[in-house]
Amino acid sequence: MRDNDIPMNLNCKLAIKSILPIFRCLNYLEKSVEKCKIVSRLDKCRVVFQFFCKHGIKRTHNVYFQDSQPLKILFEKSLCANILMIRPRLLTEAIVLLTSNQEEVTFSVTPGNFCLKSSSGESLDLSSSVYSEMSFDPEEFDFFQVGLDTEITFCFKELKGILSFSEVMHVPLSIYFDFPGKPVVLSMDDMLLEANFILATLSDHPSRVSSPQSQSLCLSQALRRTEPTQSSAQVGQSQASQAPESISRAAPKRLFPKDPLDSSCATETKRASTNQDDISEVPESVVSDMEEGPGPSQLRKFSCMFFGAVSSQQQEYASHPLDSLAIASDSEEDVSG
Amino acid sequence: MKFRAKIVDLACLNHFTRVSNMIAKLAKTCTLRISPEKLNFILSDKLASGGVSMWCELEQENIFSEFQMEGVSAENNAIYLELTSENLSRALKTAQNARALKIKLTNKHFPCLTVSVELQLSSSSSSRIVTHDIPIKVIPRRLWKDLQEPSVPDSDVSIYLPALKTMKSVVEKMKNISNHLVIEANLNGELNLKIETELVCVTTHFKDLGNPLLSSESASQSRHPEDMAEVHIDIKKLLQFLAGQQVTPTKAVCNIVSNRIVHFDLLLEDISLQYFIPALS
Repeated sequence: MRDNDIPMNLNCKLAIKSILPIFRCLNYLEKSVEKCKIVSRLDKCRVVFQFFCKHGIKRTHNVYFQDSQPLKILFEKSLCANILMIRPRLLTEAIVLLTSNQEEVTFSVTPGNFCLKSSSGESLDLSSSVYSEMSFDPEEFDFFQVGLDTEITFCFKELKGILSFSEVMHVPLSIYFDFPGKPVVLSMDDMLLEANFILATLSDHPSRVSSPQSQSLCLSQALRRTEPTQSSAQVGQSQASQAPESISRAAPKRLFPKDPLDSSCATETKRASTNQDDISEVPESVVSDMEEGPGPSQLRKFSCMFFGAVSSQQQEYASHPLDSLAIASDSEEDVSG
Repeated sequence: MKFRAKIVDLACLNHFTRVSNMIAKLAKTCTLRISPEKLNFILSDKLASGGVSMWCELEQENIFSEFQMEGVSAENNAIYLELTSENLSRALKTAQNARALKIKLTNKHFPCLTVSVELQLSSSSSSRIVTHDIPIKVIPRRLWKDLQEPSVPDSDVSIYLPALKTMKSVVEKMKNISNHLVIEANLNGELNLKIETELVCVTTHFKDLGNPLLSSESASQSRHPEDMAEVHIDIKKLLQFLAGQQVTPTKAVCNIVSNRIVHFDLLLEDISLQYFIPALS
């Protein structure tokens, strides 16, 4: 099912809740499915998943998608002062030892040491959480480059999710970061895919206490929120009723490393590396995709995540780059639980 | 004020962890009293806990391989700290297969009990050290008088308890029917748990429990063995006590002072736990 005037890039988003059940029973999929075809049908705003199974059975799932504006993230991770690579298992075992239920985790590095800490709370009384800390020797890392002694703090929950993903992929995790406020990139690179998770880190900015905006995290992209009250008026979204504790996320985006920069991105590039205070305009379309209304305290927990998947076979499908995104392989790993 | 102790034996560490877990279930906030020979976990917050009090005592030399403390002063050679019980038990949980555990009193930005765990790394032979800073509050000397060992009242009946797990499952079901439970026992080895509402009356009878030999008190000697001594208590308090018992105790005794108080006296290997539940007024 191919659309002949398919645009080169399909930018859409699909609900994870719709996709997960399709691929749920891995045992069944491995035993019975011979081929899986994933096709986009723009005319009907659908992505079609077809399983060609044994005995001539064909299972078709239609998943509706929503348009989304792609956000070009221009962040050169190799320019980061600190680059670490570690087997995710080591970090996973360590984070279990952080006893408090805090939202954030801190990485503290010097050329001779890596320290994992639970974020120190602000209140100092009996009900405060326990502050935990543990050190890693640089020898435990597959790669350890520290150009800047620094301490970054970011969302713990995201780290846990990313670690479990990289463990499943059996790929070492690379961590790129600089000074606090600048995003941290957690990435994995494998034959099948390259994933980059860009997370905002808490800024050290002294004006942090003055307003929610300066309390919020520095981002390399124009994802920051305007005043919560303003944004609901500005955007007037039906999403305004979203639960306030949701963490704002950027629209998922495909990172095509070879994509040329177009002019609209040029200005964003410039802003990209500067402090978030400089980014004043938020393209309306960008804001419209995001969940609404975090309060000032939620802004502190702001994080953004981008996931890019690059198929190594992309070049072969140049003419119809997005018609077939994946073909079930024989050696697909059985991911349990 | 100084405190520094170390545990190297895994069995001792597990024992201490189990006690800490139990305390975390019995009291959200408790007092830790450190003295040269003993460690005590104390709950004596009459008002906040509705009159429930707890006194748990362990001999430090049975647990710690190294133990040094210096109290507030020479005459008052003890340290009283208030802490959130769960913080300690969670920190100890990370020490499940530790090579060594150190605890010390520190004052980083605020007073803490710092638990330092040395863990064997799965990948290599070296170890990783994890430190946990548990925030505490030092209790001033003028408040120590409220935190002394409760006096054991002269009980009317003293009886050995049945299996605590059985008691717990019974009381758990009873909780759905009534908030008010009557616990009664006699010197004939019989213990009853009773609840009563307008519609229904439920009693669970435990028999052949045995009674510990009492010291020669004329009051209890002249007591008819069949006579029940009873106390009306809040069922939730009894349930909380029972829920905290994860291990079968070495010895478990229940002392009842009619219409006044029920006193549970448990021995968990070498650690003693006393729990007092007052009668409902």
